[in-house]
Formats: sequence, C-alpha cells, structure tokens
Amino acid sequence: MATIITNNPLVFERMNSRCKIDFRETDLKGILIEARNRIHAGHKLLSHPLSGSVKPNETNYKSLMISDEKAELDLDSLGIIESAIETTLKFLNMKEYKWDIKVLDDFQEIDFTLISSAVESMI
Amino acid sequence: MRLELGNIFIKDVKFSGATKVDGGVLYINKEEMLKEIGGDEHIKNIDIELAHPGDEIRITPVKDVIEPRVKVEGPGGIFPGILSKVDTVGSGRTHALKNVAVVTAGKIVGFQEGIIDMTGIGAEYTPFSKNHNVVVVCQPVDGLKQYDHEAAVRMIGFKAAAYLGKFAKDITPDEVKTYETEPILDSVKKYPDLPKVGYVYMLQTQGLLHDTYVYGVDAKKIVPTLLYPTEIMDGAIISGNCVSACDKNPTYVHLNNGIIEELYEKHGKEINFVGVIITNENVFLADKERSSNWTAKLCKFLGLDGVVISQEGFGNPDTDLIMNCKKIESEGIKTVIVTDEYAGRDGVSQSLADADEKADAVVTNGNANETIILPPMKKIIGMTDYVDVVAGGFDGSLRPDGSIEVEIQAITGATNETGYVTLSTKGF
Repeated sequence: MATIITNNPLVFERMNSRCKIDFRETDLKGILIEARNRIHAGHKLLSHPLSGSVKPNETNYKSLMISDEKAELDLDSLGIIESAIETTLKFLNMKEYKWDIKVLDDFQEIDFTLISSAVESMI
Repeated sequence: MRLELGNIFIKDVKFSGATKVDGGVLYINKEEMLKEIGGDEHIKNIDIELAHPGDEIRITPVKDVIEPRVKVEGPGGIFPGILSKVDTVGSGRTHALKNVAVVTAGKIVGFQEGIIDMTGIGAEYTPFSKNHNVVVVCQPVDGLKQYDHEAAVRMIGFKAAAYLGKFAKDITPDEVKTYETEPILDSVKKYPDLPKVGYVYMLQTQGLLHDTYVYGVDAKKIVPTLLYPTEIMDGAIISGNCVSACDKNPTYVHLNNGIIEELYEKHGKEINFVGVIITNENVFLADKERSSNWTAKLCKFLGLDGVVISQEGFGNPDTDLIMNCKKIESEGIKTVIVTDEYAGRDGVSQSLADADEKADAVVTNGNANETIILPPMKKIIGMTDYVDVVAGGFDGSLRPDGSIEVEIQAITGATNETGYVTLSTKGF
C-alpha cells in the first residue's frame, strides 16, 4: 500500500475516495522534505519527485507517492530525493514566478495527471 | 528496410487560389486548407498565418512543429496509427517539403509552450526560425479541458502537415537520400569488422501534455522495443508534448532526428548502425526500473558494442537517462549520453538531477537557464496575453522598450537533446 503526499487541492478532491492522501498546506519544497523525512524513517519512494517538466520555481504543486511499508533505509530513494531537493533549491534561487488563477489551475491539473499516471502504473 | 527520402527544397510560401508546389514555391489555398483541417467540435476558430525567415514576427505559444511529408511508394502512410492505418512504414519512398513547417500555436496551459522569433537574437537560438512557417492558430471553445484541447490541436497539426505534404507527391525531388538498415545477421556478415552501434531513444511519457505516441500507442504503456530508423522518418513517433519548450522533441525533430542522421552517415564506414531501441520516461519508479532493465537487455541481446542515448525533457528523465547508462554499461557496452543542462544562470550549478561515474561520455546541447534579451517584434502570431504573462512573471523582465528577458528554455528547440539545435561548442 502507498500514500500520496500532496499540497495540490485537486489531487485531494479527486483522489481522496480511492487513494490514501496526506494533504499538507505547504510549498513544493515542503512536500519534498516531508518525503525525505519518511524515507529516513524507512519508507520507499514510489514516484519520481521531479515528475513533469514544469520547473520547480514555476509550479508550486507537487504530489508524490511513498510506500506505507517500512524497512531498512532505501539508499536509492534517498539519492533521488536528495538530488531532487538540490535541483529544486537551485531553481528557487533563480526566479520565482507569480501566476494568475488560471495558470495555477493548469498546474494543479498537470500535477494531478502526473500522479494519476503513477497510480495507474501501480494498479 | 530501405527508404528513399526525396527532399524538395522550398524557397518561399505564399497564399494563392490553388495549393501547389511550383518552381520551388509552395502556394496555399487558405480556404481549402482551413476546410481540410477544420471541423473539430472542440475548436471555435482556426486561422492560418505565414511567417518567413527574417520577418519581424514572434510566434507564441508554440505547441508543435511538423514537417510536411507524403508516402509515395511502399506500405502505409505518414503518421501511422494517427492519420493512416497501422501498416509498418519506413520502406519505399517518401517525399518531404524542406524549409517548410506547420507550427501549431495557441495557449493550452499557462506559460509552458514556447517562442519562435523569426529575426533577432531569439531566432539564432531556434532552428525553426530558418523555415517558412505555416502557423495554425487554434481558438478553443469556452471551458474546454486541457486534455481535449491538446488532443484537438495535435490532430489539426498533423492534418495540416498531411494536407501540404500530399502536394509533394508528384514533384521530382531536388535530392534523393537513401537510408537502409538490414536485418542484424546480414549487416554483421556484411560489416564483420565494424562496431555494432544502437540508439536508445528516450521518449517523454508522463501524463497530460508530456506524452509521445508510437504508431498511435501512448508510449508510457509500452515496454522498450525495436524500430527501424526509417520508420521514424515516416512519422511512427509523434509528439503530444507541450511542456519544456527548449528540450521537448517536436514531431519535426522525430522526423529529422539528428542522431539517426549522423549514425546513418557513419554506417558501413566507421560503424554498423544496427537500429533504434525506443523507451519511455514514466513517473512511477518501478516503470523506470523495468524500462531501463529492458533497454539494457535488448542492447545485450543485439550484441551491441556501443550505444548513443538521448533523453527528452527536464528532471525526472535525468533518472531514466542515468539508469539506462549504468545498466547498459554494466553489460560491457560503451555509452554516450546526449542531454542539455539546467546549470543556473551562471552555468556553474549541477547540470542534471542525477549522475553516475559510468556516465563519462556526455554531449550537451546547452544550458537552458542561459538568459537572453528578446527584442520587441512588430507582429505576434498566437496570443499576446501569453507574452504578457511571461514578461510580467518576474520582476524586471519587461523592459521599457518592450523587449523581454527570458531563459532560453522558453525558446522552442533551443537545447533539443537530439542535437537538432543551433548552439554548438568551439575550441580555442
């Protein structure tokens, strides 16, 4: 079994009835750090944290999937999340974009479809 | 499999009373073309505009770029599984209208589609400024969802390219190039002393606006498989990708893949170019593991000595790229990876989101974070509110004279990871 950690309200709204969702009111970096905390606790990363080619300083929405089972520290998961955080910080140090509501809706939709493709692969 | 590609070099494109190719000029009956490509219930209005090299025109937002081609002899038709039946293409004869492209424009999602400037410094960063562009601008019906919007504009683009391509069918080409790939047992007998080289072609496949199709199949659902390179020249792979303008592969790039061209150039001389292994770039990590296991397995099964691997897009695909590289190298096969970089504005940050010591032969196509100033243009084809969003997106980017500051990632094809780019490196 798996949990989707997300800050995207659309993912919560559309998937809450069929998936285990941990919705958090935080930014994209906050979601990645929460995932890293769980990886340190022995959970395994199941979807890629840099899913999609929308850059981390463009969109603020992120959903990722992590295992419910705990085991020894998974070094592959840790390597991927650390690289993703490093990349995200690099982009956040460049420029952050400010968007209108329509663009934010688009980014929610894109993030939703990216995590949906991971859910479809898991089933 | 043997394909003759007949290239017809076009020196100008004009609207006219009848669509035809005459004396190196493509004449287009706009009304007829609109009738041919129209009719989608999701699209309220379509317009066609022309943009020539050197014109003071900015095309934005650009979705796809497509070269008009037509099948003249041999099985199947262009864009199999999309516009034509699913016959295996890549043999016989195909004609291409060179120096011409259909460009689909219209905002699908905020900020993600790209820019093509036809003159000025921006034009120097995109190979598509050198073409006579037939720009198809699509306005969606109100309230259309992004998925339906993308699908509608994608199909209109292919119909437009096929419509123009069919007028090349009876024209004598200016040049005919022949590409041939023999069954591997035959080619190994023919070139026993040449190293066997394959191309691992990674396709962006993550979900809405990040999709690629192979013979009409959504490539995120495939396991890695083999294609003759000439199948790709007949449109076996098409783009449904709207995100990451600089390093997505527009359909034009699939048709004119620079790595395939170069490998054919050296085939039978320095190498034995055996074929193409296509693979995907999925979100689910187990998919990545499976696909990279399979690419390595196929490389080993084919007895390859060397492999070129190209990726598409940013971030997540870096992991697929490195997985492919590591696992293929572990089979004792040499690899060269082809990518671009997000190395920060000064170019000194870590370039990729993943790395491995086995990735020791890398070709880069430029730093997508490099920043340039695009001068104001007299005319914008597409939607100007999009440019306002780009310009207003960050402080100080819109200058008083109307020029805008952008990272080159906003420019369509600027750092394409198959090498179909204008950037290059020189030693001094």
